[in-house]
Amino acid sequence: MNGGWRAWLRLFAVQGTWNYERMLGVGMGYAAEPLLEDLKTVDPVRHTEAVVRSAEFFNCNPNLAGLALGATARAEYDAVMGDQLFWAGLVPLLVAAALIGVVLGVTWWAVVGFLVLYNLARIATGVWALRTGLDAGMGIGTAIAQSWISKAIEWVGPAAGFGIGAAIPLVAAWYLEDIGWPAAFGALAVAATGVAVTRWFGASLTTVRFTLLALVLLVLFRWMLP
Amino acid sequence: MTDLAPSSALLLVIWGTLVALDLVSVPQAMIARPVVAGAVAGWLAGDVEAGLRVGVLFELFALDVLPVGAVRYPDYGPATVAATALAADSPWQFALGQSAALGLAIAVLGGFGLQLVRRANARAIQHYSAALAAGESGAIRRLQYGSLLRDAMRGAGLTALGLACAWVLGHYAWLDRSTALGLTLVAVGCGLSAVIGGALRSAGRGPRLRWLGAGALVGLIAAALR
Repeated sequence: MNGGWRAWLRLFAVQGTWNYERMLGVGMGYAAEPLLEDLKTVDPVRHTEAVVRSAEFFNCNPNLAGLALGATARAEYDAVMGDQLFWAGLVPLLVAAALIGVVLGVTWWAVVGFLVLYNLARIATGVWALRTGLDAGMGIGTAIAQSWISKAIEWVGPAAGFGIGAAIPLVAAWYLEDIGWPAAFGALAVAATGVAVTRWFGASLTTVRFTLLALVLLVLFRWMLP
Repeated sequence: MTDLAPSSALLLVIWGTLVALDLVSVPQAMIARPVVAGAVAGWLAGDVEAGLRVGVLFELFALDVLPVGAVRYPDYGPATVAATALAADSPWQFALGQSAALGLAIAVLGGFGLQLVRRANARAIQHYSAALAAGESGAIRRLQYGSLLRDAMRGAGLTALGLACAWVLGHYAWLDRSTALGLTLVAVGCGLSAVIGGALRSAGRGPRLRWLGAGALVGLIAAALR
């Protein structure tokens, strides 16, 4: 987390937008902005939400506002660790393994194995999290920093990348080998176009919108040019 | 589409409701993942192969989603159930495209429904604001159960709507074989574009990108050796 000095300077103006509705809230949001900047690259959606939260109602002595500012900024980064561990790490890793299992013909083992492994990890993490929270109290930030989570994130992210990378060609072959490779090249061309177009247009053209558009256009063309 | 017995249709609606609840509300055990929802829906509809083909395809789309914070995303669980019902008892090469179109439309509708449920939850909280401010734990429980009920109703309604649309499409929307095959190729191509786009976005430019590439290489070799 960078931006500490800029946040400290901005704390001198923490009462700049003092009002009866949010009191110091907006000033705190202004001071929090540099601290939350790194979050923009790690998790842009959470960054926006964190900015919203940072400017909510708040009141305290302005000389001690830095205590609350530092703690809340730290909490935003700690919250991201959970997303990196589960949504960007463990879930795609296990889903990739399940997809590979289905493609290789061990369907029910793959599906049940996915559910069992995920839920074991999730239950164990839940028990650990509650115990750690109860034991550490206000020292939770240090407890998280010293825990296994950072190390787990370091390996689960690359492992998920490897798993997804391995699953993509296997899944593609699973669908396309039955259809015949000349037609399969058409599907791969659609895939390449989809990646390029959705990256170009960003959030305004999601892959779901692109797919629905392509399917409707195909039916229309077939209807007009039988 | 197979003509579902009323008992099978009812079981599919119950399964769709459970997977819709699992997405966010309770228990997040990952039964909402399309590969799981599709395998079970295929088993309930009497065609596990159809469920797997649909489930794996929607999993490619779901891997494009990082469900953090208040980000909006489609609900692929009930969509997978409805699309599986449409694809059941037909050669998947000709049924998958049409099923994907139906499923994606239902998934988008499900995501929209999720926003409506969240807004309704916010209204309910406002309604109980006095009780909450007074510290009434009964109000907290009523709010929690009411929210779960709203989400369950969303899932049941969405699945029932999807099954009704599947029945109409299965009986009245006749497509010639080349159009049906074309739709399948487009759907598979778009699914691949979704998972590749999502994987590249998650990988960024760090070590995860190298692991993604290594995994793709291993997957290509494995696909060639199958």
